[in-house]
Amino acid sequence: MSKTAARASARRYPWGWILGLGIPLLVFVRIWYLVAVVGERELASFIGAALLSLQLGSLYALIALGYTMVYGIIRLINFAHGEVFMVGAFISYFLFTGAPFALPWALLWSIVVAWGVMFVLNLWRGRMADPVVLGGGAATLALLAVVLSTSPVNWLVAMLLSMLTTGVLGVLIDRIAYRPLRGAPRISLLITAIAVSFFLQNTGLIVFTRNQTPFRPGTAWTDFLQFDVAGGTVYTSRLVFLIPIVTAVLVVALTLFVTRTRLGKAMRASAQDAEVAQMMGVNVNRVIATTFLLGSMLAAAGGVLWGLNFGSLNQPAVMGILPGIKAFAAAVIGGIGSLPGAVLGGLLLGFLENFVTALFPRSGDFPGITEYKDTFAFALLIVVLLIRPSGIVGEDLSEKV
Amino acid sequence: MSDGTKRLRNLLLTLGVGAIVAVALALVGGTGGAKLNDSLALFAIWGIAAVSLNLINGTTGILSLGHHGFMLVGGYVTALLILPEDARQRISSSARSEMTPFTLGLSVEGWFDALGLHVLTTPETLWVRFLIALFFGGLVAMAFGLIVGIPSLRLKGDYLAIVTFGFGEIIRLTASTSLFKPFTNGALGYSGVPSDFGKSLWWTFALLALTLFVMTKLKYSSHGRALQAIREDEIAAEAMGIGLARHKVMAFALSAFFAGVAGGLWVSYLSAARLDFFLFFLTFFFLVAISVGGTGSYTGVLLGVAVVVFVQQYGDPLERTYSLATWFGLIGVLILAAGIGAGLYRRDRRMRPVWHPLVLGLIGIGAATLLVAIVGQNWAMFDGTFQAFGMRRILLAVLLIVIMAVRPEGIMGRAEFSWAWLLRERKDQPSDEERAQDAWLSGSEMDKEKERARARSDDPLPRSLTEEESPGAHPLLERGTKPKSDGGRRRKRGDDEGSS
Repeated sequence: MSKTAARASARRYPWGWILGLGIPLLVFVRIWYLVAVVGERELASFIGAALLSLQLGSLYALIALGYTMVYGIIRLINFAHGEVFMVGAFISYFLFTGAPFALPWALLWSIVVAWGVMFVLNLWRGRMADPVVLGGGAATLALLAVVLSTSPVNWLVAMLLSMLTTGVLGVLIDRIAYRPLRGAPRISLLITAIAVSFFLQNTGLIVFTRNQTPFRPGTAWTDFLQFDVAGGTVYTSRLVFLIPIVTAVLVVALTLFVTRTRLGKAMRASAQDAEVAQMMGVNVNRVIATTFLLGSMLAAAGGVLWGLNFGSLNQPAVMGILPGIKAFAAAVIGGIGSLPGAVLGGLLLGFLENFVTALFPRSGDFPGITEYKDTFAFALLIVVLLIRPSGIVGEDLSEKV
Repeated sequence: MSDGTKRLRNLLLTLGVGAIVAVALALVGGTGGAKLNDSLALFAIWGIAAVSLNLINGTTGILSLGHHGFMLVGGYVTALLILPEDARQRISSSARSEMTPFTLGLSVEGWFDALGLHVLTTPETLWVRFLIALFFGGLVAMAFGLIVGIPSLRLKGDYLAIVTFGFGEIIRLTASTSLFKPFTNGALGYSGVPSDFGKSLWWTFALLALTLFVMTKLKYSSHGRALQAIREDEIAAEAMGIGLARHKVMAFALSAFFAGVAGGLWVSYLSAARLDFFLFFLTFFFLVAISVGGTGSYTGVLLGVAVVVFVQQYGDPLERTYSLATWFGLIGVLILAAGIGAGLYRRDRRMRPVWHPLVLGLIGIGAATLLVAIVGQNWAMFDGTFQAFGMRRILLAVLLIVIMAVRPEGIMGRAEFSWAWLLRERKDQPSDEERAQDAWLSGSEMDKEKERARARSDDPLPRSLTEEESPGAHPLLERGTKPKSDGGRRRKRGDDEGSS
């Protein structure tokens, strides 16, 4: 009843237009007020805030894609996704700081990554005993063992290796923790996901570190950058180009994978109806494993970029929680189950956190709203869930994955 | 035995065991070590919180993850109201204090002073003030519970879980903002909260008993049955005339009240209130306790809390410093155990274990690791020691994962502990009350005649088949095959749909 009523009222009132035009208008009025009337702030500071929002929003979008893909297929809020993101960041950290490893460690790492490569090739070729799969695995193993035991690794290679390793981790999590619960009530699955998240946090404390860790791979991309605009100076870093570009490349690659390949088609089919897809010959378990692989790879990329952006990694027990839950909020805001929705939601959340706090700066007795920044995601999540649970990109409009 | 004598026997048994427990607690409080005392107090405090969380999670079937937020509210209110004068002096003289004179003046002692009740401001009557402070803490937490309960009117299942988690985090994150700093003293919090109550077995266990009493009474009242109906099927419950909104919000509010009380005791146990005492790990521990003990069973939850407290208090050998060889051997044992477990778990059609090559490989790796650790104890590569902080939490997380995979309803399921169960009482004899009900419910004389005829004839068919043939059979005859009313063995637990 409420659904039809909501639809009818949506037809009567063009809320999309009202909000889509009204909010930017309000923002411009506020900026004009702060810049021209009060005169406390320069236009350049808002441009800087917008760039920062874009940067952070891209990161949220990368993490949110993993949530939205997993939710689209097995209807699970993958609580452990934030921890997967943390693991990805730390793995790349250990790769580029300790790179010429002792041979046993290099071998161990190569075996894990080679297994990941074989898994990916297996998705494409269909069986493990295929020459391409075995050859790819063996080649990766040999090449990586040599490279890791002899030469240092730069951040980009570290990111790619970390993506593969973390992807394997995601597949393992699915295989060990979630797959025994296929068909169980969704709440049981969610509780298991919480347990996996808790497990990864504390294992990270043991395996990685207990302290905040500096993350400086020594690349020119983290250099500061400043330029003059509108009578002021914008202070930023080269990351303002790097992060959105990497995100865009990964999102485009993911979209191409989902829309253009057989496996992507199988993913879309499973998202629509897993049982029917299975009847049509789709190996749903393999599709789910692929989803976890891709989602975890994106999360690892997000983790590396996160480290570059902030210059340090928080300790493992807390690093994943807030970004993870915020990215989940972004996925819901955009419309969970939809790829463009996740990107849109991530960007929106980035702007809300950084741009809106810039709109209400500290002045006089008013302490500003920066200290409430972390609660915005939750507040928006609750509001969106209460008012429009299907998110911005509604269910029927979106392409589900 | 008639119903009356049974009830009397059960009451006497309960009272007797209660007396024994009380004597045991007195002995522990007097002679037992501080650690045992602390563990028991912790058991009672976390027991209150877990039992109250079980009202939402187990009885009503809503997964709520914001319990640490309610505990924070209750804990801070209790701490603020009970804080002794010297601690207030210290805060007000400190340069980093965030409190205002108004918030520093909030104390039960001050109120009694203003009312002229000087009997109640002496150190001997601290317990009165503490109980009042606990009650206020519970009330404020209850107000927060009402707020958090409101989204449950629109949302279901995992979305609601995330929203409650979000509320819990919002409570913690806003507690340190400038708006609430005067009440929470920012990141510093309070120190010097009297620990006479959180560490006293009398008070903690008395409040646990009170909580259990309220919760079990509620469970078997009409409201409790309504909550269970909501857990089983919301739509059907609504169709039966159960007000969903009213009951869900009530469950949240009541649960938050007791969570606030537990928070007050927790603050007193730690003799300080700080924001990092109220992290998500608390809710996680209670979730483990509920899932392990039995979702919806209050006695089962206490069993789960005992497990969690035991791991947390007596699991410290896990986190000591050991040599690398020991760790290596431990990892080998774990891999070996995982391999053997995986091999035994998978059975073929004749229930024989399947020894898959991968499983055999795992066992081989585990055995090799163990062997290397044993043989190479003195090798140079095992020089050094390692300390694994957080092993206890990992253990609890693994326990939860295994429980959810193997036995999602927990040890007790939804069954409660009962004397009848303990004494192996047969359920196939109807009680007086049931007889009376049956007599009232049984239909016309004609049905009875049919029943008698059926009872006379030697029915070759098994009971279950004949029952299906005639659903109107006499209840007395059905008694033997009646399925147990508790859904303990059922795997399905309040299946739910998302809100969208």
